[in-house]
Amino acid sequence: MRYEIRVDGEMSDELTTAFPELDTFVAPCQTVLYGKVDDEAHLYGLLIRFQSLGLRVAEFRRLPE
Amino acid sequence: MTPDGDPVLAARLAVPAVPGTFVRRDRLVEQLAEGAHGPLTLVNGPAGAGKTLLVADWITAYEPGAVAWLTVEPQDSAPGVFWSYVLHAFRHHGVALPDDIGSPARPGEVDHSLLARLAAWLNARDSRVTLVLDEFDRVAGAAAVADELHFVLRHAGDGLRLVIISRTEPLLPLYRYRAAGELVDIRADDLAFRAEETSALVDRHGLPLSAEAARVLTERTEGWAAGLRLCTLAAQRAADPESFLKDFEAGHSTVADFLLGEVLRAHPAQTQDLLLRTSILEETHPDLANALTGRDDAEPILEELQRANAFVEPIGHSWYRLHPLFAEILRVHLRVRHPGLEPELHRTAAEWLSRAGLLDEALPHAADAGDWELAAAELIDHLAIGRLLTGLAAERLDGLFARMAPEASGPAPDLVRAARELARHDVDRGVTYLRRAEENLPGGGTDDAAAARLSCAVLRVLAARVAGSADLAETAARDAAEAERALPADQVERHPELTARMLTDLGSAQLWAGRFDAAGATLSAAVDAAQGRSTAFARHEALGRLALIDFLHGRPGRAEAHARGAIAEAEQSGLPVSERTGMAQLVLAAVAIDRDDLTPAQGHLDQAAATSAASRDPVVAVELAILRSRMLVARGDPRAALLALDDMAKQPLVFAEPSPWVSDRIAMATAAAHLADGDPKAAVKVFEEQRSHSPESLAAEARARVAAGDRERALGILDELPEPQDRGPVIEVWVLLTRAQAVDALGDAAAAESLVLRALTAARPHHLRRPFLEAGPWLRRLMLHRPSLAREHAWLTSTLSPQPAASRQRDESVGPSPEPLSTRERDVLERLAQLMSTEEIAADLHLSVNTVKTHLKSIYRKLSATRRGEAVRRARELGLL
Repeated sequence: MRYEIRVDGEMSDELTTAFPELDTFVAPCQTVLYGKVDDEAHLYGLLIRFQSLGLRVAEFRRLPE
Repeated sequence: MTPDGDPVLAARLAVPAVPGTFVRRDRLVEQLAEGAHGPLTLVNGPAGAGKTLLVADWITAYEPGAVAWLTVEPQDSAPGVFWSYVLHAFRHHGVALPDDIGSPARPGEVDHSLLARLAAWLNARDSRVTLVLDEFDRVAGAAAVADELHFVLRHAGDGLRLVIISRTEPLLPLYRYRAAGELVDIRADDLAFRAEETSALVDRHGLPLSAEAARVLTERTEGWAAGLRLCTLAAQRAADPESFLKDFEAGHSTVADFLLGEVLRAHPAQTQDLLLRTSILEETHPDLANALTGRDDAEPILEELQRANAFVEPIGHSWYRLHPLFAEILRVHLRVRHPGLEPELHRTAAEWLSRAGLLDEALPHAADAGDWELAAAELIDHLAIGRLLTGLAAERLDGLFARMAPEASGPAPDLVRAARELARHDVDRGVTYLRRAEENLPGGGTDDAAAARLSCAVLRVLAARVAGSADLAETAARDAAEAERALPADQVERHPELTARMLTDLGSAQLWAGRFDAAGATLSAAVDAAQGRSTAFARHEALGRLALIDFLHGRPGRAEAHARGAIAEAEQSGLPVSERTGMAQLVLAAVAIDRDDLTPAQGHLDQAAATSAASRDPVVAVELAILRSRMLVARGDPRAALLALDDMAKQPLVFAEPSPWVSDRIAMATAAAHLADGDPKAAVKVFEEQRSHSPESLAAEARARVAAGDRERALGILDELPEPQDRGPVIEVWVLLTRAQAVDALGDAAAAESLVLRALTAARPHHLRRPFLEAGPWLRRLMLHRPSLAREHAWLTSTLSPQPAASRQRDESVGPSPEPLSTRERDVLERLAQLMSTEEIAADLHLSVNTVKTHLKSIYRKLSATRRGEAVRRARELGLL
């Protein structure tokens, strides 16, 4: 499964290290993280990690294979 | 179990302190007050939304009656652990729970009756208790915990109000509470600060800020409480707060990231370093922080941070808690600024915490450092190996060490591996690790060496018990005692679970080997080992085994008392039925069979079969099979009983050494089934193949020989039995009856009669009916000659007529037999035949008149009679009287 997650605001390089398994790029006022998600547990784990770091998830979608 | 006064536990139970800069928001207070009318209040919102402080402030300022606070931790997803902490929170906050509610002893499951007792007690209270569960999202995945909370809340009536603080919705059936108007829901939108509330907050911090700036700030942070707090802290340190906020507005970075970077940068280097290094901890102490930074300035820094209202809050006993959100972000910064430092910090923290006696907190850090030698060594040095086998922490420790790297070497890791294998009853692998650990045991007279030797010996006892070897268990127990003497007494006393566990294992091995006196003494010592949750399972098991020893000695009264003690211990400690040993139920079943109370006996057997021990514990498994065969004999189907015993013999349980008394009991059960089947030769053959050991099995052999016509041999066996004062009433009754049968067959009716009379007197206090039922037709003949016996022993004579041995023949004769009468119904019927009135029967049987009437009704129904006279006549025709 590949996912794309958009987070409000520009994440610093420091903060993106909290998601070493995902690639990132910065869009206007948003950071886009994308990459392979192993399974549902990983998916929910990611969501919790975003929340724990005070990041606001604006969009979360599965990419076509 | 963490003792009271432990700062880490205190932190979980303390209502968090509300800082002076906190802004109370009336609209939210109103919502909380409204929640007081219903059972459930939810405070749901993301990290840093201000949930905890909202509830803490409301409790502190409005004192809404009795309140118990519990900050939930991930380990609480095990229901036993969760409820244990909830009960702890009640007591800690002055809610005086009665002792008989009990407390869970196992992590995985809680006996439902414990929750029912708790709910009933809450329901009966005059005033309501509010239970606050903070950070409930940490157990969000535990459906069992949610179900149990719902159950308690439903049954506690007005006695309980639950406030759940969580980032995610709990698994409770919220729609039902919503539909009933019983739920007050405070969510992220409610928690978000509004512009005027932001103004109030910055005012509290003494910052000059225009209304317009406050509005912009609220917009930029979307009212996020943690963001506002960070922003205010950063602006305070900026030269010009208003322009700082303008920069912030223009920036596009994520709020937390930007603000934390600003706030961190504003602090001196030492403070930043301390914050980053302590971010690996949830709670910190100045000494621990010094250990992590290698400096000695932690105390003033932590005090300053607390005064400035940033990142940390005091939780008493000089401990501080880092805000979880900040800690999370700090950890990210730590990884970037000091790559590779984390394991080292974890190792330092583990060593410090372990020295401070906080083993539970130390072990996860040792594991996070990947230092398994350290983790295992700490467990062994603290004598905590027993906690891996029993008690509330067992599952968590087992899970922790399941991650242990295979490279970890040395005696401590091997001991941990051995304990985990033995806990799963894998003797071969367990002993392999144990042997390797023993080969590498540290020498010398240090405490650590003695602790390792003691752990080794305790595991040896467990291995010997699983392998069924009393000799090995006794040798290992002597080693354990020697190692114990080399340790400070108070260190051993702090771990009663180790001693209780070892004694129970030793006693079980001795029981298996038939060393009943030694086993009895050892098991009694296990019961007497310190009371408490950590030893509850050992006490339950030891009491069950003591009950079995009493039963084997033929003492039903004492056996029942011990069995009931074992069951009470299990209920008190919230042990679910599947986790119990089943031994107590087996003993109750065995005593009930001796009394011919077959319905309760079947109930006890079913409960014993439902326990996990029924498949794992050889004593329980064998005794269960034996009692099932005895039930089949009692129900008149000896052929099925023999088949059941054959099946058991075909599937021998895994144990190294055979148990003499267990094979005795199998032989006795087999012989009894042959006798009931009318085949005394086969019964004698059983004993020719299997030599008898115990007085009870010798009596059984004599009985088989009498039935087969070899009276002299039978009397010879009986003459060689030890003195009667050493045997319990059950064995005595069997011996007297067998002797009576032998002398009766030799033609001495008078001697037989007097022996039967003695047997009756011995059996009466315990209502032992089975020996008389299985004695055979000669007894009924003899009793017909002495009608006075029937009058004096009404408890027995009513059951004597329907002979199980005869039932097979009756089946072949005329018509279907009526539905069998229960023992009580037979008691009533017998008195009916003596022309007693309903009131007299009630008085005689210590029953209420209504109960007697109910019995009469079912007697009439079963015998198809409408009146007393008819019922008695029908009963005589059917041979029931």
